[in-house]
Amino acid sequence: MSMGRRAPLVLLALGTGACSYQNYQSTFGNAAIEARQFNTLFVIFLVVCAVMYLAVVLFLFASILRRRRAGEANVVEDGRHHLSSPLMRSALIGWSAVVVVGLIGLAIASFFADRSMAKAASGQKLSITITANQWWWDVQYNSADVSKMVRTANELHLPVGVPVRIFLRSNDVIHSFWVPSLAGKQDLIPGRDNDITIVPSKVGIYRGQCAEFCGAQHAHMALVVNVDSFPDFIKWWQHQLQPAQAPTTPEAVAGYNYVTSRQCGACHSIAGTPASGTVGPDLTHLASRRSIAAGTLPMGQGNLYGWVADPQSLKPGVHMPTIGLEPAQLHAVVAYLETLK
Amino acid sequence: MSSRFRASLLLLGGIAVTLAACDREERHSRSKPIGETLPAGMSPDTIWPGGTQPPALDPRAKLYDDNAPAIAAGQQLYSQFNCVGCHSHGGGSMGPPLMDDQWRYGGRIDQIAASIAEGRPNGMPAWRNKLTDDQIWQLAAYVRTLSGQPSKDAVSSRADAMSSTTPGSLTPREPAKSSGTATQ
Amino acid sequence: MRRTGGALPVALLCSAALALTACNRSQPENSSPSATVYGSPPAGNHAVPAPAAFPADDGNWVMPGKDYASTRFSALNQVTPANVGKLGLAFTFSTATTTGFEAPPLVVNGTMYLVTPFPNILYALDLTKEGAPTKWVFKPKPLAAAQGVACCDVVNRGAVYDAGKIFFNTLDGQTFAVDANSGQQVWRAQLGDIQRGETITMAPLVADGKVLVGNSGGEMGVRGWIAALDEGSGKLAWRAFNTGPDKDVLIGPDFKPFYAMDRGKDLGVKSWPPDAWKIGGATTWGWISYDPETKLIYYGTSNPGPWNPDQRPGDNKWSAGLFARDVDTGKAVWFYQSSPHDLYDHDDVNEIILADIPWGNGRRPALLRPDRNGFFYVMDRRTGEVLSATPYGYINVYKGVDLKTGRIIPVPEKAPHAGRVVRDICPASPGAKDWNPAAFSPVTGLVYIPHINLCQDVGAMEANYIAGTPYVGADVKMYAGPGGNRGVFTAWDPVNRRKVFEIKEDLPLWSPALATAGNVVFYGTMDGWLKAIDARTGKLLWQFKAGSGIIGQPISYRGPDGRQYIAVVAGVGGWSGAVVAGKLDTRDPTAGGGFVNAVKDLPMKSTAGGMLYVFTLPR
Repeated sequence: MSMGRRAPLVLLALGTGACSYQNYQSTFGNAAIEARQFNTLFVIFLVVCAVMYLAVVLFLFASILRRRRAGEANVVEDGRHHLSSPLMRSALIGWSAVVVVGLIGLAIASFFADRSMAKAASGQKLSITITANQWWWDVQYNSADVSKMVRTANELHLPVGVPVRIFLRSNDVIHSFWVPSLAGKQDLIPGRDNDITIVPSKVGIYRGQCAEFCGAQHAHMALVVNVDSFPDFIKWWQHQLQPAQAPTTPEAVAGYNYVTSRQCGACHSIAGTPASGTVGPDLTHLASRRSIAAGTLPMGQGNLYGWVADPQSLKPGVHMPTIGLEPAQLHAVVAYLETLK
Repeated sequence: MSSRFRASLLLLGGIAVTLAACDREERHSRSKPIGETLPAGMSPDTIWPGGTQPPALDPRAKLYDDNAPAIAAGQQLYSQFNCVGCHSHGGGSMGPPLMDDQWRYGGRIDQIAASIAEGRPNGMPAWRNKLTDDQIWQLAAYVRTLSGQPSKDAVSSRADAMSSTTPGSLTPREPAKSSGTATQ
Repeated sequence: MRRTGGALPVALLCSAALALTACNRSQPENSSPSATVYGSPPAGNHAVPAPAAFPADDGNWVMPGKDYASTRFSALNQVTPANVGKLGLAFTFSTATTTGFEAPPLVVNGTMYLVTPFPNILYALDLTKEGAPTKWVFKPKPLAAAQGVACCDVVNRGAVYDAGKIFFNTLDGQTFAVDANSGQQVWRAQLGDIQRGETITMAPLVADGKVLVGNSGGEMGVRGWIAALDEGSGKLAWRAFNTGPDKDVLIGPDFKPFYAMDRGKDLGVKSWPPDAWKIGGATTWGWISYDPETKLIYYGTSNPGPWNPDQRPGDNKWSAGLFARDVDTGKAVWFYQSSPHDLYDHDDVNEIILADIPWGNGRRPALLRPDRNGFFYVMDRRTGEVLSATPYGYINVYKGVDLKTGRIIPVPEKAPHAGRVVRDICPASPGAKDWNPAAFSPVTGLVYIPHINLCQDVGAMEANYIAGTPYVGADVKMYAGPGGNRGVFTAWDPVNRRKVFEIKEDLPLWSPALATAGNVVFYGTMDGWLKAIDARTGKLLWQFKAGSGIIGQPISYRGPDGRQYIAVVAGVGGWSGAVVAGKLDTRDPTAGGGFVNAVKDLPMKSTAGGMLYVFTLPR
């Protein structure tokens, strides 16, 4: 096949590839009203600007290729004012009009997109506070009944169709909250309260990422967002309110003893146990999450072993130290962590 | 030798010197070797009877003592592990001040690390099983900055929270002296 | 010519300067501030102590508050404004400690008992002999590690005497009963656990055969409680927690709080984020009063933990409030929360003066409280209704107390939040008045309040909880409030709700007050002056410079020879004096919980000490 014939097929393949992952982590994702508004706006801008660009290119080529009629002086050489040529005059006026109309159109489109996003975001029913740390996300679900507040880490569960307002804070440096399939970026700035409102519209799993360079492990600071149906979301919330189950097997009991009496409890909290540290992620329902260490590794027994044994080799510079556990201690701790569903 | 050759030689030499300066301290993200214990029984200044020599500075001290990443890590740990709750930002509260020259249990970095690990009789908790040795050394390195001991280019020049004391890079140096009493 | 011409003006200037300095020399260095008088004490019908809680004075001092109504009033009247200028030292005694001495000496039938700060030694001095020699010494030997979990110096607020025994608490969480004659231990109970950050600094109270003890540790993530031990055996009769489910707080069907905000089921859990009540503070480190008529004990709970309020949204029951409980069973009868969702460490543990106030044609049983948050509360002690809440210091963080709902109204811009610094918070964390109790004189009807005038800046941050370590989450810097004086002594008319007179003091006033029937009121300053003032006008009548700052309760007793004595132990320390007692460094303004910044001059004005001074009139 010739090059000319191959190219569209390649583009098609790429395009469908992009489409099939479109909603996991894609700027073209449309899983929330905000994302859809952005997409619409993007398309409008693309079309208008593409038309403008093509027109400019066409004029450029036209002007390069048009031969000068013999004996004719051009406008500059002549010293005549460019507007005295009728063709030139109408061309310039026409083009200015096109540009002005185009810009006004873009402004109107932008304005309406912004207004409709704000309208969709009004009447938020759910409030979440995300505090970014290096390099993990501390997620807290707020509630008027404070005893129903839920704290988790690196994972968000949102009910579909419900406007949710996420307050964004930072404990150390500037981070940026970005779930491309759902909405745009919003920075988390230490000492300042920002917020972003999202109205998810499609059930599914989406990936977010820190979008502001925040240190050595900025690349390993991902966030998993699960958009559930409303009943599933309530079920998830009620499950999160449950304290950690007491361990039953002897190995898990040994792990529990280690976790609550040694280094782990000083940084992590596990509801229902003496471990109440706030420096690191909450581990109460660790085993129900999809990833470890803010998206560094997928959840799984092997990865848990690797992380607990030597986090510094997997995410160098992370604030969780390599403790140097004995093999028996390592087995016990991981056995206990796996019970934290 | 042409002047251009000389010029490029000089340039190469300058680059080499600059690059050598870049690697002046090592940043390690975990203790080497893992799991090794801290110096035990590192006594404060005391009587060494019959001509015994006091122990030499622990060899691991140089990995932390003037090491900027270690001091920065220690600065974070100092707040996170509630040292600030008892010792404030060096002025003391429940615990004695750390910014002066009086050290009940010794002011060398290995003596401070031993105090943190073992605890001390009048209320200093023992952190040996709650912090890794690496973290304890980092804390000891930071505690030394409160009295201005490490070299000023390794020290953080601003606090993480409300700034109330002189920044570390301007803190005057107060070499440790033994304190009057170690008891109540 | 020129030389002498130049020398003469200089000579004149020098002699003028010398003359001026000579003028000052006649006044003492601490030229005492005079009282500003705003009015006169109430004439005729004024508040009186609750009769059942205010027995006739036998010349002893058996409990820190003098009586169950906590009046700190001595009916002895030999010392009067006319003769107090002749007060002189009778004897002294060194307690061999140099940390903050907050306890009053107890005097029971010719023996004086002193309990020191850590290591909590109990001395018995024989007042019948010349020079009051030591009768016996009891050493409880508490754990030295307890010093590491005591937030505000290793103080002890006193012992109590009842039925031949002296009861007191030690820093490491024990309660001791010691035979008052022999000094032998009768029983000992271990109630607190220093591994969780618990200590005990409060003075117990014995009521109806029960020894009432509460814990400290609101800055250490401790769960607060109050316990009653059987007086004879030391066995635990009941323990009520101050946070958690109703069955732990001993809340049952008899619980009838006056205001709707305090009503509900399991509020000690529901008004906290999950599990936060387990490390929520609300300790009982302050004063307890008792009404024998209704058999109710009254005590306040401390601040919720941590100081950073963002970590504990909700009202945080039952912290920063006042409980009334039945002394036999411990069951809660009512509760009033003076600072729901406390933002400023405004504990509610101050003294509760039981008084009957004129009301309509008769009297209403009430209680009077100069509270930490700056309001002077007058409340009905049967129901917990707030009759009035009037500021007695400068407040810019609360707009007032809504008497319909009972709820205090905070100013939103002054609320601390994690990651921010809020400035000019008045009153500061120690409040308009901290633990040091006021005295109430039934003769003048006035409450004599030694208190402070401090403001602060707060930077809050997330606190990490590790048992046995501080759980605070705030950097604080305190400084003098409006006017520049850090201390103030106020005589307050509780019925007409106004200041009668006020004395501005340079240093914060951290000592309790003593009122006497001779109309002389005593209090001590942090640089060591024991002052006697006129109870009606505040005029300074007499002062004595002790060897160390005074933060302890002055008492008055009748000695075996029938004369009236005034006694106080001078030993600066406590939260305000930690810069001296703990040898803190004044270059860190956040040291000592922020207090060091406010009293950087204290180390030059007072050294540490622990000396008992006893005064009397000449024969």
